[in-house]
Amino acid sequence: MATNSGSPGRVRRGLRIPWGMLAAIAAAVALWAAASRLIPQADLYLPSPAAVWDAFVDLLRKGVLPDYVAASIRRVILATVIGLAIGVPLGVFIGINAKVADFFYPLLNFFQSLSGIAILPLVIVWFGFTERTILVAINYTVLFPVVFNVLVGVRSVPRIYVNALRTMGASRLRIIRDVLLPGALPHVATGARLGMAYGWRALIAAEMLVGANGLGFMIFNAQSFFLTNRIILGMLAIGTLWILIDRFLLRPLEADTIQRWGLVQR
Amino acid sequence: MTPETRAAVAEAPAASAARARAMRRRRSAATWLRGAAPFATLLLLWYGLTARGTLPAIFLPPPGDVARVVWELLRDGSLLGHMGASLGRVLVGLAVSVPMGIAFGVGMGLSRGLARAVEPVASFLNSLSGIAWLPLAITWFGIGWVSVTFILWNTIFFLVLFNTLVGVRAVPRIFEHSLLTLGGTRRHIIFQVLIPGALPSIVTGIRMSMGFGWRAILAAEMISSTNGLGFLIYNAANFHQTDTILVGILLIGIIWLTTDRLILVPIERWTVERWGLVWKPS
Repeated sequence: MATNSGSPGRVRRGLRIPWGMLAAIAAAVALWAAASRLIPQADLYLPSPAAVWDAFVDLLRKGVLPDYVAASIRRVILATVIGLAIGVPLGVFIGINAKVADFFYPLLNFFQSLSGIAILPLVIVWFGFTERTILVAINYTVLFPVVFNVLVGVRSVPRIYVNALRTMGASRLRIIRDVLLPGALPHVATGARLGMAYGWRALIAAEMLVGANGLGFMIFNAQSFFLTNRIILGMLAIGTLWILIDRFLLRPLEADTIQRWGLVQR
Repeated sequence: MTPETRAAVAEAPAASAARARAMRRRRSAATWLRGAAPFATLLLLWYGLTARGTLPAIFLPPPGDVARVVWELLRDGSLLGHMGASLGRVLVGLAVSVPMGIAFGVGMGLSRGLARAVEPVASFLNSLSGIAWLPLAITWFGIGWVSVTFILWNTIFFLVLFNTLVGVRAVPRIFEHSLLTLGGTRRHIIFQVLIPGALPSIVTGIRMSMGFGWRAILAAEMISSTNGLGFLIYNAANFHQTDTILVGILLIGIIWLTTDRLILVPIERWTVERWGLVWKPS
């Protein structure tokens, strides 16, 4: 929030309006409008901001845009929730034992660096061009960075804390709850952020290749009908949604966990 | 001291060095084995699941089938062709985008006004993933290598730009001032202070953008290309050739891991050691 970021000595003036940013965006839109006026066949190659606005109003009125935005958001949230629900316990479970962790580390590293988009053709063969294919591919993309980072987080908690609790007779459950989980939390946040960043991109690609709805499908479909204003509208929606997810979900999560728990190691 | 003992004394360090070398070799063999064991287990599991037809081959073909496809694709040269196409695109994308990203990043780091004017739009374009440009790229450039390069440019350029910017901004002003005091010009400041100071951050940006770029190029090749590894596996999916898909997937993973571990990570480590923060703000 803008009001909280000021230094303590500063007078707070309610919600600060970022005039500089608004001016820069206005200038960019003006530049875009001018360019669109200058090039031939602008409707095909670079529709004016007004044409994109028309597409926005049109698709909003027909209810297509809200539907597609909701479909994309639903998928990415579902994938993140499932990815965290499976990934965090799995990562902790693998990370408890050093030998088990050493064994799974190279495998997880391989699969987390193998993008969901690479396994998409395989999943298409398995499940066809269906919703399930999209969900499996996105889940895969989100899950592995989470498991991998949680594993690394659990392993990087200094043993001395585990040993200290053990000396005092703590149960294994207690060690997990009071030492390993809090210690790994910054890594959980990193994993979630990386997983969602890759997942969002994979989702757009998967919707292009497989989908029957969603923003990726919308821009890809618009291309085959040469509706360039819809493509640009879709791109604006994709970029804006990601900025919202990043600013209001991922960065606060990361900042909170790192500030709250990140110094456990020192 | 008899000649024999003298020889023995002279030999002792050599012998111990040889022993240490052998030990090191044994240890590296052990770590290598430990790294390979999980993959061997996975291979065994895969073999066990598929050898007796427990899983239908169209779902998951046995390792033997996949090995045979590797051999066939190697013999007709198409595997190397697809690999070369994908790697070539990434190299072209890097060669075009990285210098531009560094130049614009340094420029924005030097000029506050420029940064203020460009940053909002650039950060929007940065969060617009490369692959979302694909439909527009196809409209503009048609299907082919220009579209794919454009996608890569979008993925790499903005990440390198922002990492350069962050790096340049983190260079302590005192270095700049000391160069100015000694009569340094703007060019000296850029090439001897800002770029070296930002180098660790720039290299991190390149590594990150390679990660995103390698993913983006696969998607781009699936949609708008007739060669490359992305095309290979997506085309195979249309014909339900699961064995070819697995060959492609394994190759994609192996290529990325080797590039990252053997090239990008060492470079990153080296730059951080060589150029990393020598001065910490207290």
